[in-house]
Amino acid sequence: MSAPGLNNDSKKNKRTFWKRNTEKVPGSIKPVYGAKHPPTEAVIQASLANTDQSKNRNKRPDSFADFDHSTSDAWDDAEDDLMLMGTRKLSIEETIESNNDELHNIANENSTNFQGAKSKNIDVPMSSSHHKAFQPPSSPVPSPNVGSMGGPGVGIRQTAVIEAPKPVTAIRIPNIPVPDRELSKLHKFGQILSGPITDLDELRKLSWSGIPKPVRPSAWKILLGYLPTNIDRRTLTLERKRSEYFSFIDQYFDTRHETIHRDTYRQIHIDIPRTNPLMPLFHQPKVHQIFERILYIWSIRHPASGYVQGMNDLVTPFFVVFLSEYVDDSGENLDIYDVNKLSDDILKCIEADSFWCMTKLLDGIQDNYTFAQPGIQLKVNALRELVQRIDGPLHSHLEKHNVEYLQFSFRWMNNLIMREIPLKCTIRLWDTYMSEGDGFANFHLYVCASLLVHWSDKIRRNRDFHSILLFLQNLPTKDWDNEQIGVLVAEAYRWKFMFADAPNHLNLIKK
Amino acid sequence: MAKQYDIIIRLLMVGDSGVGKTCMLCRFADDDISSTHVSTIGIDFKIKTLTIDGKKIRIQIWDTAGQERYETITKQYYRRAQGIVLVYDMKNEESFKNIQKWMKYISDFAPEDVELILVANKSDAYNSERKVSKEHGEMFAKEHRIPFYETSAYMDMNINEAFIMLARIVMKRHKKEIDKQMEHIRLFCREDSDAHIIEKQGKDNNGCCVLM
Repeated sequence: MSAPGLNNDSKKNKRTFWKRNTEKVPGSIKPVYGAKHPPTEAVIQASLANTDQSKNRNKRPDSFADFDHSTSDAWDDAEDDLMLMGTRKLSIEETIESNNDELHNIANENSTNFQGAKSKNIDVPMSSSHHKAFQPPSSPVPSPNVGSMGGPGVGIRQTAVIEAPKPVTAIRIPNIPVPDRELSKLHKFGQILSGPITDLDELRKLSWSGIPKPVRPSAWKILLGYLPTNIDRRTLTLERKRSEYFSFIDQYFDTRHETIHRDTYRQIHIDIPRTNPLMPLFHQPKVHQIFERILYIWSIRHPASGYVQGMNDLVTPFFVVFLSEYVDDSGENLDIYDVNKLSDDILKCIEADSFWCMTKLLDGIQDNYTFAQPGIQLKVNALRELVQRIDGPLHSHLEKHNVEYLQFSFRWMNNLIMREIPLKCTIRLWDTYMSEGDGFANFHLYVCASLLVHWSDKIRRNRDFHSILLFLQNLPTKDWDNEQIGVLVAEAYRWKFMFADAPNHLNLIKK
Repeated sequence: MAKQYDIIIRLLMVGDSGVGKTCMLCRFADDDISSTHVSTIGIDFKIKTLTIDGKKIRIQIWDTAGQERYETITKQYYRRAQGIVLVYDMKNEESFKNIQKWMKYISDFAPEDVELILVANKSDAYNSERKVSKEHGEMFAKEHRIPFYETSAYMDMNINEAFIMLARIVMKRHKKEIDKQMEHIRLFCREDSDAHIIEKQGKDNNGCCVLM
């Protein structure tokens, strides 16, 4: 990694460097958040915010936030789960003013180039849905409103209760100038995605801190390598891949009752009704059938692992995100969306896209699911090593009470912590995973460490095996939002940055 | 922290995927099955504290995922089980046949003195749905000299009875250690003392007065 280390010297230099450049210099170096351009300072701020947000708001006048404030042009490149955490202050007036400008710009832009690009790259009738996608979000917090009932794991989370979706709007408007940043970010995504060739590095940098909902379907497809970066090839690729998927179904789906495939099919068949049971979206006959086909076809095309319980969960973020492409959800709650409102052609597109993107995801973590699940065993060991280094007291506490990492983190690895956080948080987390080179395999480990260390105090307050393990199996995350995920990935980035290249560290993973 | 229990016993649940292991456990430990329709990944854990014959027993139950792929992980938990609940679904003949397979794993990986019970779950099924007769289940259990129960986690039938029966036979099997343990508690721990006083006994046993 080319980024500087986090030892005291380089940190100091970096600070000095920032200070020397407190005035806006046109054409000066533009720091950007992203996998390869670590938001070092911001990450540190974020971790501070994590431990004490209120302290952060009153921080020293020469802090990063002020630098940031004075160079807002440079930092516009990135958004900002990190910034949402209170490292940046903007007055309401500023917000409104810049909002108006943005609205104006976006309206102009959209009516021309992006709208055209979009209609070019999707080959199903979309009339209103895409049109809506590039109108300025009417909700001031355009974060996805899916999954507010919680992830698949909530079924066994003690604190979980079925609740009406939280009102995600109104309350926060006055304090957090989200529309400004979201609009500006949306605008940048629009430019990147609609250019003749999408710059993958740029897209990753921009996506790392969260992708705005309207562009997420396209961004995910490109980040995963399902769609080509060349805009002219997208329509053809989509057509080809979608018809390829449906030819698999014609070819293989009837084999599900054959003796050798019966067990696989039965397992899928009994797991689908148990997928995210609290979200009615996933419990409609048509959706069950879609999931069955996706999982069955994937399984028989990947005999080394076949279907493993938990893969059903992994389809849900794709399904929801690709569904959002066709649903005007300003008036719709996707949690309870009735898919019968969509045409079969559209459902087919969602199904095929979900299949291919899930395939891409699983390609990177297949050793999690092959015989004896070696990928998971390695990662659980690596997690132990990592936590031992970053939070010795926590590690000792777990050891003292005979809590083994396998007992709680097996599921974290197998289901990519989907059972531990609400679905909307998983979706946000995947923005970052897709922006990291091998996020689902490697970066996930650091996120797990970050998740564990996040609860360090609480875990250490539990003083016997039972209460520690019960706590770890039922993490109180049901009210988590993008904000917490922003903190989590920022912390994870810090650990990765500090340890990934350390010679004696994480040998297990590199083996 | 007041003393919450005198003795811990460790149980394990095994059986094919979808036979209702987790539902049984949630019914027993939380008296609730409404929120449990998710598949178990790898291994899960619950506890229940009961008073049996005047002794406070903490029952520690490991719930395993039934899918074959998880066997590498779940087999690691047999070694320390004192009692195992073998579960099949009376609506699914295959799950009954597979009890043989689970018995084999038990003889390969569990301690010799492990106690077992056989449970046919989903007794709320209509007669037309039933694929394994009560007689078949009973016969199998008799052959292996283990108690047999037909249960319904859904209707809350026989669940407590089955778990308590297993707890009792585990306690009977370990009577000597329990008596010694109770004597130790009587002599050294005041009524309101900390459980951790007796936790010191050994690192190998989850830090409690576990029956070895």
